[in-house]
Amino acid sequence: MPHSRWFAVRQEISPSRRRLLGVAAFLLPLLLWSIVSYVPFIWHPNIKVADAGDVSWLRVDTQLNRHEFAELVTQAEAAGTRPPAGIRANPIYLPAPHEVGRALYTAFTTKPVLRGDLWLHESLAMSIKTIFWGFVISSAIGVPLGILCGSFVSASRLTEPFVDFVRYMPAPAFGALMVAVFGIHLEPKIAIIVIGTFFQQVLVVANTVRKVDGGLLEAAQTLGAKRRQLVLRVILPASLPDLYNDLRILLGWAWTYLIVAEVIGVSSGITFFINQQAKYRNFDNVYAAILIIGFIGLATDQALGWIGNRLFTWKNPRPSRFRTFFTRLFAGRDVLLFPDKPSST
Amino acid sequence: MRLRHLLLAAAVSTASLLSAAPLKIAYSDWPGWTALAIAEQKGWFKEAGVDVELLWFEYGPSMEAFTAGKVDAVTMTNGDALVTGAGGGKNIAVIVTDYSNGNDMIVAKPGIKSLKDFKGKKVGIEIGFVEHLLLLNGLKKVGLTESDVELVPTPTNQTPQVLASGQVDAIGAWQPNSGEALKAVPGATAIYTSADEPGLIYDVIAVTPQSLAQHRAEWVKVAKVWDKVVAYLADPKTKEDGIKIMAARAGVDPKEYAAFMPGTKFHTLAEGSKVLSAKTTGFDSVLGSSKIANDFNVKNEVYKESQDAASYIDASVSADALKK
Repeated sequence: MPHSRWFAVRQEISPSRRRLLGVAAFLLPLLLWSIVSYVPFIWHPNIKVADAGDVSWLRVDTQLNRHEFAELVTQAEAAGTRPPAGIRANPIYLPAPHEVGRALYTAFTTKPVLRGDLWLHESLAMSIKTIFWGFVISSAIGVPLGILCGSFVSASRLTEPFVDFVRYMPAPAFGALMVAVFGIHLEPKIAIIVIGTFFQQVLVVANTVRKVDGGLLEAAQTLGAKRRQLVLRVILPASLPDLYNDLRILLGWAWTYLIVAEVIGVSSGITFFINQQAKYRNFDNVYAAILIIGFIGLATDQALGWIGNRLFTWKNPRPSRFRTFFTRLFAGRDVLLFPDKPSST
Repeated sequence: MRLRHLLLAAAVSTASLLSAAPLKIAYSDWPGWTALAIAEQKGWFKEAGVDVELLWFEYGPSMEAFTAGKVDAVTMTNGDALVTGAGGGKNIAVIVTDYSNGNDMIVAKPGIKSLKDFKGKKVGIEIGFVEHLLLLNGLKKVGLTESDVELVPTPTNQTPQVLASGQVDAIGAWQPNSGEALKAVPGATAIYTSADEPGLIYDVIAVTPQSLAQHRAEWVKVAKVWDKVVAYLADPKTKEDGIKIMAARAGVDPKEYAAFMPGTKFHTLAEGSKVLSAKTTGFDSVLGSSKIANDFNVKNEVYKESQDAASYIDASVSADALKK
């Protein structure tokens, strides 16, 4: 049976194997990380000092290069003084998995010492709020504009040259400007995310809309469709599943601007935690925070993917109650989101 | 019924608009300024009858917010106050929080014993800012000039990594970055620090001219509260609690933070008032120190137009706070 082969060019494999590989995709890097961290002779280029011996400037727990350490030991022995001792260790920027795990746990369970300070989950909520509004505002303007550009050449010529120009301007460069315009709280941060997302969004959406099969448009015109109908009943439904996926990718884009956005104005959200911990080189906390962002991103994307599969069944046929619900919701509206909606007459 | 509610809500919100807005102070991660968190946590501003909102920033963005006119005051060094002013953020120092007494450092890799060995060496530093001034001040003392070293522009918060990478021979940074650089490279030493030139870097609370004109009485109260903060940190009984609050603000272990205290010479109101009003040409007054910083800034083209250092200082607020 071809299904039972692990390696076959462009052939589907069974769902259970797909799942297994998905888990392995995460376990393998973790395994690699564990090996580098826990097996002492794999890498461990440093020595963590346990006993400074007679070397005056050495302190317990400082790390130094293995060769330099060996030299110190030789020098001490030659001079007849007590040599330093230590254990092999990885550089401070590569903490072991359990250290990061512990940091992840304590970051959430440590209650803020200062009155009025935020828990980590509250900081995260603030970051998510920033992302949410940035993305909603960007999409509310960017998607319709992109659809217009993709549908009408005149709109495209009027908009895209300038959008293409601004797209190259790095969003962080607008930081001080946004503070001057919007103040120091969430508003300038949201603005940075909008700037970072919007211009890409218009171009991506326009491109996707342009990819709608010309045959569909011709067929609709033959059947007597007018301009409005062509856009709303042909172009839109045809490109919607791809637009949805574009938005998923662009949402990831919005997250990348978060770290820049959150240092503008008052320090806030998860970035405050990351920067503060990085300043004191508590890299286990830094990794923990980066992982949290990764988890949130992955979870959101998976959820959106799940919803997408159920919304756009003409792209990905699968009966679902979710979709029936939405079909009913939009039944009778002018916008034809679902081509096979129950006839409203 | 509903109308009455609406009217009531409108009345309440109008009333809150009419009551004076809080004095917004932007502060950042320097021991001399995180100490402000003590006053906030203890409720001392409210006690003194002044409405203060402390806003926590990264250092650079704090000055940007001030220049943009979004806060009433910002904590910065007297040298950066001139830079901010030249960039359109006119400001007046009313309170001296401290001078850097060793927390600003030139950290060199093992083998370099003093600034005399700096000829031809690479130094990672933020050009045009206080550490640059510190370095030049030190070089001058050993008879070297800027052209004897190669400056590598490096953001202060990345100096530990840059020194550890071995691509430079030394870096200039303030705490916590300077201390982390010392930890990152075992055997590295702080070969020149702000303790070698006390008064080179004063740290101040600088306010906008408008806020000073409109809320002078309130700033006098803030100055009094500052005196209380310094006293709290000076008292052996309460010092530990004070450091705990500062460390929590910075998000680190109190023990780690306590190490920064000796490098910061906190100024009581009396001490601050004295260095603010003194008109010497050396580092023993804010005016003298600022004039030296101004010459440095103009020479290094940090800004073009020489700033009138005296216009950046108002000694009367601290002096009035002392009287009452």
